Amino acid sequence: MKLLDVKDLNVDFVSTEGRVHVLNEVCFEVERGEIVGIVGESGSGKTTLGLAVLRLLDSPPAQILGGSIIFDGQDVMKMDPKELWHLRGTGMNMVFQESLLALNPVYRVESQINESIDSVCKSTKVTMTKNERREKILRILKELCLDRPDQVLKKYPHELSGGMRQRVSIAMSIIQMPKLLFLDEPTTGLDAYVQNRILKIIKNLNREFGISMVLITHDLTVASQICDRIYVMYAGRVAEVGKSEKILEKPLHPYSETLLKALPKGYSDSPLLPVPQGEPPDMKNLPSGCKFNPRCVYAMDLCRKKEPKLMQVGEELVACWKYS
Amino acid sequence: MSSVSDVLVDVEELTVRFRAKNAQINLFSKSARWFNAVDSVSFSIKKGDTFGLVGETGSGKSTIAKTLVGIYRPSSGRVKLFGKEINFEKAADLAYLRKNVGIVFQDPVGSLNPRLTVREIISEALIASKSVPESSYDSKISKIMELVGLRRSALTMHPRELSGGEKQRVSLARALVVPKKLLILDEPTSSLDMTIQAQVLNTLRRLKAELDLSFLFITHDINVIRYMSTRLGVLFYGKLVEVGSTYEVLSQPKHPYTIELLSNVPQIAAKEMVNQPSQLDSNVLMEHQPSLEGCIYRNVCPKAFEKCIESPALYEISQGHEVACFLYHNEVGNKGMGETITQL
Repeated sequence: MKLLDVKDLNVDFVSTEGRVHVLNEVCFEVERGEIVGIVGESGSGKTTLGLAVLRLLDSPPAQILGGSIIFDGQDVMKMDPKELWHLRGTGMNMVFQESLLALNPVYRVESQINESIDSVCKSTKVTMTKNERREKILRILKELCLDRPDQVLKKYPHELSGGMRQRVSIAMSIIQMPKLLFLDEPTTGLDAYVQNRILKIIKNLNREFGISMVLITHDLTVASQICDRIYVMYAGRVAEVGKSEKILEKPLHPYSETLLKALPKGYSDSPLLPVPQGEPPDMKNLPSGCKFNPRCVYAMDLCRKKEPKLMQVGEELVACWKYS
Repeated sequence: MSSVSDVLVDVEELTVRFRAKNAQINLFSKSARWFNAVDSVSFSIKKGDTFGLVGETGSGKSTIAKTLVGIYRPSSGRVKLFGKEINFEKAADLAYLRKNVGIVFQDPVGSLNPRLTVREIISEALIASKSVPESSYDSKISKIMELVGLRRSALTMHPRELSGGEKQRVSLARALVVPKKLLILDEPTSSLDMTIQAQVLNTLRRLKAELDLSFLFITHDINVIRYMSTRLGVLFYGKLVEVGSTYEVLSQPKHPYTIELLSNVPQIAAKEMVNQPSQLDSNVLMEHQPSLEGCIYRNVCPKAFEKCIESPALYEISQGHEVACFLYHNEVGNKGMGETITQL
């Protein structure tokens, strides 16, 4: 059985200015022990997908318009707030993008991580002494390769560097031992070296504790480092799904191809990067047909008229008329 | 060696000090109250060069950028523009500096006034230059808009109505509407999406050729710097540890820090790490702590030896390639590279 099985998820954001389809018929699966990447540009709906699965979207403005979310055999869509509270934490968990905003500025690191332990203790009805907790926290922080963890515990979020803060956020989630962890842009805004360290740590946690993970990122390079499978999203739709090595070597969807071509290559005397003009789509004002057609070099008449559905090409799924 | 005339900017032993506010920063400096964000850094930018500066957060990249447009004052050292030394206390010198050097900041949201339209934002640069008659504002603005690739309809818009890439193009237009000789780009693309980053980088390379510009390009992204720069300097906690042509520094890195930096560059390679056995060497994963005495990289350097308790200066190991590391002093031999060479 799959750990997470999302089918035909539709999410709208409703405001006085109108209705925006943020997610359109999104199907998404995670197997046990797997690391899945969701790659897309800003506005492609990748964070919304994560929040929707965890049922963390505020309503209003968000409306889930059907679809199903089955996690570990349970129907997440039918859960009441109390069941959801039990689900989050030990079932599914999320590390948010901005670690500075995700952490409470007026509490020390130790009491924030303790909050996580508290909620687990409450839902599993276990009591832990202060020393046991501290030991557990220190062990996790060490696992995350934080220098002098006992000192870090006494600090406030603003006293930590970006990389350290991100690791504290990860610690808060990991300490609850979730079955599935969403990581929303865990390395964005960090230096390449810190980024590399954090990716290694994430991979290690996956291997050691068997935590399945969903890595949400705009950077194909980052996803390529640790993901088993990658979902490429565009304008709230899944454009392509496949094994990461497949997508990196031979992307099927023209958008995945564009993403790969956009990676700077070569020295200053190399030719210009072959990226098409155009910006990510305006979700309030999407083109008809395939949403990528205005930027697509292969666009045909059919692409402007009719939107392609995901179709099987070899082992992969791709939504493009090129393959019909 | 190049003649003096084609050197655009010459930075000699530039030091910028800040008063340390918290105890952690105090560790970084010998004197308890001050720390050197930039510590006697020397480099020069020739006409037509794109000089890249790479380094981690806190290595002093942005401090150098801001000093070169007179936002910060150097604590010591000299900055020369076309051979003329800039006196940072003199308003006329600062005006001369800013007339020739433009800057684009990292955060496109924070660097544009949200209450002005794009037209007003760009014309502020024309007003400040005092050299352009008001009647020619419109033609200048529409010309630069076309060059940086902004649509005309953006003129009457406010920054919030623009996408991230467009905002960065407005910053570019503002910096270049009055012609500049040197443009400083401080992480110009790090907040942009991948495809937009590629578009902006392409625009920058085109602008450089069309407007006969030189760039000082600051970033922590090695792939971007390789694509953009002709010469490269590597900074570590305010010290320049290696300088050379981009090709040489990236293909034959010498300083142990540069080597480590490059080994951490993410390459597009499927599950590269999965296939490797777990190599979680916790020492490597710790944050860098600069050494207070001697070579700044001594604490983390895998190749540190006794000599490293002294502070190494930059030495030329091949033409135009300089490294601040004692490992290579033997290679220099006795070329008489300066008084700091002591017998090894």
